[in-house]
Amino acid sequence: MTEAPVVAAPGPAREPGPRRGSRVLAIVLVATIAVGAYLWLTTVRWQSTSAEWEEKAHGYAEEVASLRMQLDGANSELQAARDQLSTATARITDLANEKAQLGDENVASEQYLNYQTQVSAAAATVASALGQCVSGQEQLVGYLKDADQYEPSDLSRYEREVNALCADAEDANEALQKELRP
Amino acid sequence: MRWPARSLARRALVAGVLVLTGSLGGCGVLPPLPEPVPADIVPSAPADLSPAAGGDALSPDGFDAVERMAVRIRNVGCEELSTGSGFAIDEHTLITNKHVVSDSKDLEVSTYDGHDITVGTTATAGLADLAVVRTTDPLPSFPELAKADPEPGDPVTVVGYPAGGELTVTQGEVISTTRDPLNANLGEVLLTDAPVEPGSSGSAALDAKGRVIGVVYAKTADDNSLLVPLSTLQDVLADDTAFTPAKGC
Repeated sequence: MTEAPVVAAPGPAREPGPRRGSRVLAIVLVATIAVGAYLWLTTVRWQSTSAEWEEKAHGYAEEVASLRMQLDGANSELQAARDQLSTATARITDLANEKAQLGDENVASEQYLNYQTQVSAAAATVASALGQCVSGQEQLVGYLKDADQYEPSDLSRYEREVNALCADAEDANEALQKELRP
Repeated sequence: MRWPARSLARRALVAGVLVLTGSLGGCGVLPPLPEPVPADIVPSAPADLSPAAGGDALSPDGFDAVERMAVRIRNVGCEELSTGSGFAIDEHTLITNKHVVSDSKDLEVSTYDGHDITVGTTATAGLADLAVVRTTDPLPSFPELAKADPEPGDPVTVVGYPAGGELTVTQGEVISTTRDPLNANLGEVLLTDAPVEPGSSGSAALDAKGRVIGVVYAKTADDNSLLVPLSTLQDVLADDTAFTPAKGC
């Protein structure tokens, strides 16, 4: 048996050098274009987002400015309200004090009026008692001028009654003087 | 099967380019796309917002609690008129001095804002210059009692109606404890340099936290003030037999 000669099968034909290089370049170019497209898209998106943020920032800045103005106004109103409250409380304290002083004066006046009434009543009592005393004494003097026309015992009794009246007047006068003493 | 060396190199180059492209984006060399802008970025509740300065000083009507609990007492006697001070310890109870309410035909009580308070009953202590007045009308405010008597050097605030005038708040500090020179109180009393006048009797003496530490009852010749200490006040308030109904004139 004869063995057939072994011949190696031919391999694929090798590409020429320039063709391989252009394929690599094409791949690199595609990758570069892809990266460039991505960067362009990113840039556009960031620009858009940045514009939105800026617009929003302007909106909030205007809002902050408006709120600051409102806050300044509110603070001014609050300070004014505090001043008014302070004035009002001071006025209430003044009015409460005025009312208390008027009440004191009213009570003092009532007490003085009561005192004056008591003094007047005492003076009236003294005046009345003195009047009765004087009248009795005049009457007694008249009786004594015509003493022989009256019983001595009657004259003595009348004299005691007149003395009692005058003693009452004296007591009333002493009470009045005591009332008048400070 | 064997790969030719050149083919392997080409494939490695392509893979390298792809890996490089991927890594450029994945490792952050390429910027990521921006997140969409949110419609609202305002937080729902401001964090750590503290109240405005002075907010804690607010009261229902602009008066301090120490002013709201003070009362003016007019003692209408049978022959003369006198005034004193007092303070609420609950909605219907006032504390003042015995000598403020003694020999009275009528007691008239008014608050810091001029409201008249109807008085119910009055009782006086036997062993201290203290009196308790029960009111029919509710009192606007009342303070806490302190936990203990003050020490020398502690600040003291007196709220009352000196000379029967305007409601006045004066400041001072506790000087010492002393025997009562008037012999109106059993035990020791407090000496302070807070200014008082006739008419201040019955005023509340308060500590730095607005708590009652004593009751003003007298003034010394050198313009210091004497207080019935808190401990004496608490003792007589705790003793049911300490108070007897006040005698009128």
